[in-house]
Amino acid sequence: MKSLRIILPALALLLLTPGCILTSGQIMINFDLPDVDATSPTGLTGQQIDLNTESDYKDHKDQLKDIVDFAVLGTFNNTGGEDVDVEVYMTRDLTTYTDETTVKTNGILLWGPFKVPVSGSKSIDWDGSAALFSAAGKKAILDEAKGDGSFTLYVVGKAGTYAFNVKDGILALVIDVGI
Amino acid sequence: MKRTLAFTMIGLALAAGAASAAPIGVGVGAYGGVSYPIVQDDVSSGSVFGIRVPVKLIPLVTVEPYYLSSALGDGEVTLGGVKYTRAGFDNKGFGLNAMLGQVTGMGFHFYPLVGVGSHKLTRSGTPDIKETAYNFGLGFGIGPAPKISIQVRGELNMVVTGDTSRKFANATAGLTYDLLP
Repeated sequence: MKSLRIILPALALLLLTPGCILTSGQIMINFDLPDVDATSPTGLTGQQIDLNTESDYKDHKDQLKDIVDFAVLGTFNNTGGEDVDVEVYMTRDLTTYTDETTVKTNGILLWGPFKVPVSGSKSIDWDGSAALFSAAGKKAILDEAKGDGSFTLYVVGKAGTYAFNVKDGILALVIDVGI
Repeated sequence: MKRTLAFTMIGLALAAGAASAAPIGVGVGAYGGVSYPIVQDDVSSGSVFGIRVPVKLIPLVTVEPYYLSSALGDGEVTLGGVKYTRAGFDNKGFGLNAMLGQVTGMGFHFYPLVGVGSHKLTRSGTPDIKETAYNFGLGFGIGPAPKISIQVRGELNMVVTGDTSRKFANATAGLTYDLLP
């Protein structure tokens, strides 16, 4: 009985400590992405993201444990002359690259490829998008989320000559946090 | 996890042997109900069902191997005027609960329960989560007939995922039939 008097309060304290396995949750945060217009492999525009603009992220940043789900959502329109496999790269810093080679050299593949047929328009759902995140991309974005929270996204084609745009783009993250 | 379960099963076997002089009660039950995710934006409530085999080793302690299967609802969110859905998890698991107090039999019974299990959460677009789960809850047993009881429970099923967890509040009702004695 004496040991129970010690063990039970200790167990209760452990379970109720903020950030422990019991007091945790999965919270969704999302960011509207400006429309992307990739006119060519040398006509790219980066999207600078600052997670600190999202209150849920700011509120739980200190207790952030993991990112358990991602999605890049939106409508992809292929305006080029051939099919395009769309990919999203990220650079850890705020950058302003404009060409594919520099992006792929300095960035990390985050998401993709997502095929959009020539002259076609495709929207992607949450389930389909979540499956396209790479393990390296997940680690990179988690590192950034635990760091300064700012990074840059680039939407590019996997290969070839391409032109496409992305409308109503959204980056959705589900973060695993202590509460 | 497998080692923990193996040790638990061995412990149970030894306890059962030690208690062989006492009448051992064994039942089998089926249950169903609703599973509510707790603080999870990407999933919604769904159904849960399963089977349980309560084994009364000594008068006030019952252990209960269980199997649970739940189909959680899709997470839904409207972003930029567009409604998106994320497939809910299927939660399947087995394990062992321990209850203090009488669980089955005639009359009305109230009992707390704790348990441990191995659960697997699956859904499209996400690697499977197969981890240790812990159960905590309260149950009520109502015995309208000698070998039949109605079991109503509220329990927290917590699947540990590293430093955090996926938690589900399960409200279930079921029927248990006493095979022994």
